[in-house]
This record gives sequence, C-alpha cells and structure tokens, in this order.
Amino acid sequence: MKIAQDLRAGNVINVGGEPMVILKAEYSRSGRNGSVVKMKMKNLLTDSAKETVYAADDKFEQIILDKKECTYSYFADPMFVFMDTEYNQYEVEKENVGDVVNYLTDGMEDICEVVFYDGKAISVELPNTIVREVEYTEPAVRGDTSGKVMKPAKLVGSGFELPVAAFIEIGDKIEIDTRTNEFKKRAN
Amino acid sequence: MQAKSCDIFCSVVDNYGDIGVCWRLARQLANEHGLQVRLWVDDLRSFGKLCPELDVELDIQICRGVEIRHWVSVLPAVEPAALVIGAFACDIPKPYVEAMALRQPKSVWLNLEYLSAEDWVEGCHQLPSPHPTLPLSKYFFFPGFTAKTGGLLLEHDLLVRREAFQSDASAQAEYWHSLGVPQRVDGELRVSLFGYENEAMEALLTAWEHGSHLVTCLLPEGRALPQVATFFGASTASAGDEWQRGNLRVFVLPFVEQEQYDLLLWACDVNFVRGEDSCVRAQWAAKPFIWQIYPQHDGVHLEKLEALRRLYTAGLPEETAQTVQKMWLSWNGGQGVATVWRDFAAQRMVLAKHGAGWAQRLSQNSLALNLLDFLRRTE
Repeated sequence: MKIAQDLRAGNVINVGGEPMVILKAEYSRSGRNGSVVKMKMKNLLTDSAKETVYAADDKFEQIILDKKECTYSYFADPMFVFMDTEYNQYEVEKENVGDVVNYLTDGMEDICEVVFYDGKAISVELPNTIVREVEYTEPAVRGDTSGKVMKPAKLVGSGFELPVAAFIEIGDKIEIDTRTNEFKKRAN
Repeated sequence: MQAKSCDIFCSVVDNYGDIGVCWRLARQLANEHGLQVRLWVDDLRSFGKLCPELDVELDIQICRGVEIRHWVSVLPAVEPAALVIGAFACDIPKPYVEAMALRQPKSVWLNLEYLSAEDWVEGCHQLPSPHPTLPLSKYFFFPGFTAKTGGLLLEHDLLVRREAFQSDASAQAEYWHSLGVPQRVDGELRVSLFGYENEAMEALLTAWEHGSHLVTCLLPEGRALPQVATFFGASTASAGDEWQRGNLRVFVLPFVEQEQYDLLLWACDVNFVRGEDSCVRAQWAAKPFIWQIYPQHDGVHLEKLEALRRLYTAGLPEETAQTVQKMWLSWNGGQGVATVWRDFAAQRMVLAKHGAGWAQRLSQNSLALNLLDFLRRTE
C-alpha cells in the first residue's frame, strides 16, 4: 500500500477496481498538521482523466507495472520520446508526462523509468532528486543563508519556475525533489 | 415531504474548534434549512462547555433541534443519511461507509475541511475523492473567503442582529451590566482576549498597563488565563476575578456559549481571537481583530496567517495594512508587540469601518447554502 502523499506522476493505483495513472500530484498543508494531495489521474481502461483530492494519509494499492530504464531523447509533438540502452524508442503522450515535463531538457542524462501498461508506454518517472541549473532569479539576498526566505527561479531548458532559497544565484545548480517540485539545496 | 437527513461526524481533537464549527453547522442545517440532523460527537464533555443543557451521560438526546449522538468506538447500526459530513478529515467508521455505498440513492459524502485563505483551496474545493475500494466518492468541501470556496458559516439574521446591538447603547449597557462589568468611561478601550498561551502576552499586558488610556480586558476562561493571572501575581484564577494594574483592568469571564461570545465580540472595540471559529465570528463582529492562528509544524501556519491578512487588508491604506500585518505577526511568535499595539490601536477607527464592509462582502457566500446547493447538484 502507498499513501497519497508518496504518490507521484507516473504511479498507477487501483481506485475502485480500475487502474489509474497519476498525471500530476500537488501537496498542500491543510489545518492542524493535516495535508491534502490534489491529483490529476487518468483511467487506463477508458482514457478518461479527472481531478481528485485525497487526504495525504489515504492508502492505495499500487499497481506494479513493467518499467524500463531510459533516457530522454526528444519531443515530437504531442509525444515525448525516450530510448533504452538497446536503442529502442518509446513514445509517451504529453498529457501523460505530468510534472515530469518541468525537468525534461534536451541532452539531459538523468535515468528515467518509462512505465508500461498492457505493452504500451503510459508514463515516465524521474529520480526523486535531480540537479538543474538556474537560468534566472533575482539577485541573491546578502546575509540570508537560512534557506527560509524564498524567491522564484527559472530553470535552464524547461523554463519551469519554482521557489528557491534567497541565496541562490543565476548559474547555480540546485537539487530539486521531483515528487514535490521543491528546492532542496544548492548542489555541490 | 420528509426532511432530508444529515449525519455530521465530529472528532474532538483539542480545544473547542472542531465541535464549535460542527455544532454551529448542525443547528443551521436543522433550524434554518429544515434538515433532520444527527451530530455524532466522540467527546460530550468538551461539547458540554458549548452546550450547557447537554447531558454528557446520554448516548442519544435532542438539543436545539439537533439529535446528538455519542460517537462510541462501535457505532450502532443506523441507516446512513442522505448527506454525510465528516468534519476535518475525521475517520468515519468503516461499516457506516460501507452502508453509504449500498444506500439507494448513495449518500452524498463531504469532508468539511479546515478554513484557509490560501490560493490552493479554490483549486481543491468540491473535488471528488473516489474511494479506493468502494463505489463511492467523498467530496472535499473547503470553507473560505472567496467566491470559489465554500464560504463561511453565517446565521441568516446574524448581521442584522449585530447591527441592531451595535447601534443600541442601552442594549450594550445592559450587556455590560449582565457581566458585572462597569459602564464605559471616556477614552476607555474594551478588548476581548481569547487565545492560546502566548510569548507576547506579558509585553502586551505591560503596554496596556502603561498606556495613556484605560484598557478593560475581557478574558474568557481558557488557555490564556494562567498567563494573565501570573502577570497579576495570582496563583489561581477563575470566572469573576478582577485585577487592575495601572491603566489595565481585567475581568475574567466564564467560558460562554457561542451566542454569548458573539455579544462580547460585538461589544468590544478590539478582539483577540484564536483558531478557526472565533476568527470567523470576529469578522462578523466587524471590529478590528488580531488572530492567533493554531500553530503548526515548520511555521506553515504563518503562511495561512499571511494569506488571510492579505485578503482582509486589500483595499486598506498601505500604512494600515502594514500595521495589521505587524500586529498579527507580533502576536504569533514575532517581536515588538508593545510598539505595534500603539499603532494598531491608533488605526482602529479605520479598521472598524473597513470591517463592516468586509463582513458584508463575506456574507454573500454562505457555507450552509453552498452545502445544500452541492447536495442538490450531486444527488
């Protein structure tokens, strides 16, 4: 069983007897230390997508599907193309990529896992932590090294924006938690 | 036609916030909208503080039009209601949930969430939460301050009653008399103080003590009382106690029912409130208020505090908005409460005028009416 808080784009869960692939998962802190997870999910049998919300500790049976280690190759609208070590190519629909799109860049070397259902590539998963370079952010705030004061930063390649610590500068490489899209620390 | 049935489940975690909201909602649905409401509560003793006529030894009883059920670990077999509300993500017993799925038509199941002014709430309000194993969906219902949220709990005649009270000097005089509190004198400021323990308490009381005008502080019994008693050198404290130091005098009030608390908020010039329910009631009171938010891990509550502050002060002059921000922050773990208080008190007329308009805007979005509308659309 997996709790909602640990689910991420690409995971497939059983909801009411039907396989649902998570397209997007957003975590928010509710009251009294509770949390909720807003998820966009798609039914793999009917292809219908819907938005849902769960308490962060709601439990789900995860459906374990075939996965293959791949690297990202290129985007051929509306498909993202991945390649395994034997040069086989797999296409994943843009809609099914979810938040992973925030980190897909040409030439990236991160090992992804393409997920298959019934022989078809249905989603892709990233490592929990990846490193990306900051393309733009406002100048660093001198003196603040606590990491508590945040400011937006745009990533090289995807252009994705996320909050980072105030001391981060343009050109810095940062570690990001791909499950939550949260800045972790400056990469060494 | 038979009234629609509604079950509300309330698990009392701490304080009186959960049961306060559930009790208010239950009475509104029953008495203003004609639903047949059962309120399941796991802690009748806490509930009894808000509803003195409750017999805490009884498992089933009727109070003010609502059937009160003691929620024990093994729930008796009951027919699920048409509308089922689980308050604040409480776990409704599994057999009851299974019965909801079998009911024809299925129950409409809502999780009434915590109140927050943060942006993400709008995107989650009314979204389904399909059950992992049963053919049943729960829906998340978020109270809130904007039109895209579930709104706030508001009795249909509350604002009319408040305006009548606030424009009736004799009603206010009678109210103070009923509390045993002397009538107002010129230049006096009346402040209600309902809060949790607070590091800034001593500094605030000292500021009032040395202030240029008399401050009369009305302090309901509760978690803030021991700190205030210590300030006055009292080892014990209870309702009826009175203390004075310099320009500060304090009257300790009994923990009062919700309607009586509204009168206190309406009658005071400034209200210190805590948690969820009293924060909302302070906004209906249309007086300047200082919110002590329920503290959470990692300081996440400060984001929630700031989210409401931003909405509440939108349209106010920048200086006033900043003063509110500083006052709220200083009362929630920040610094400099004594200095900020002077600025806040100086802005109170501006804030009182703003508060009336703010309450009027919020009143356009009634949580109870939104719930019923959702029920009609979902059944």
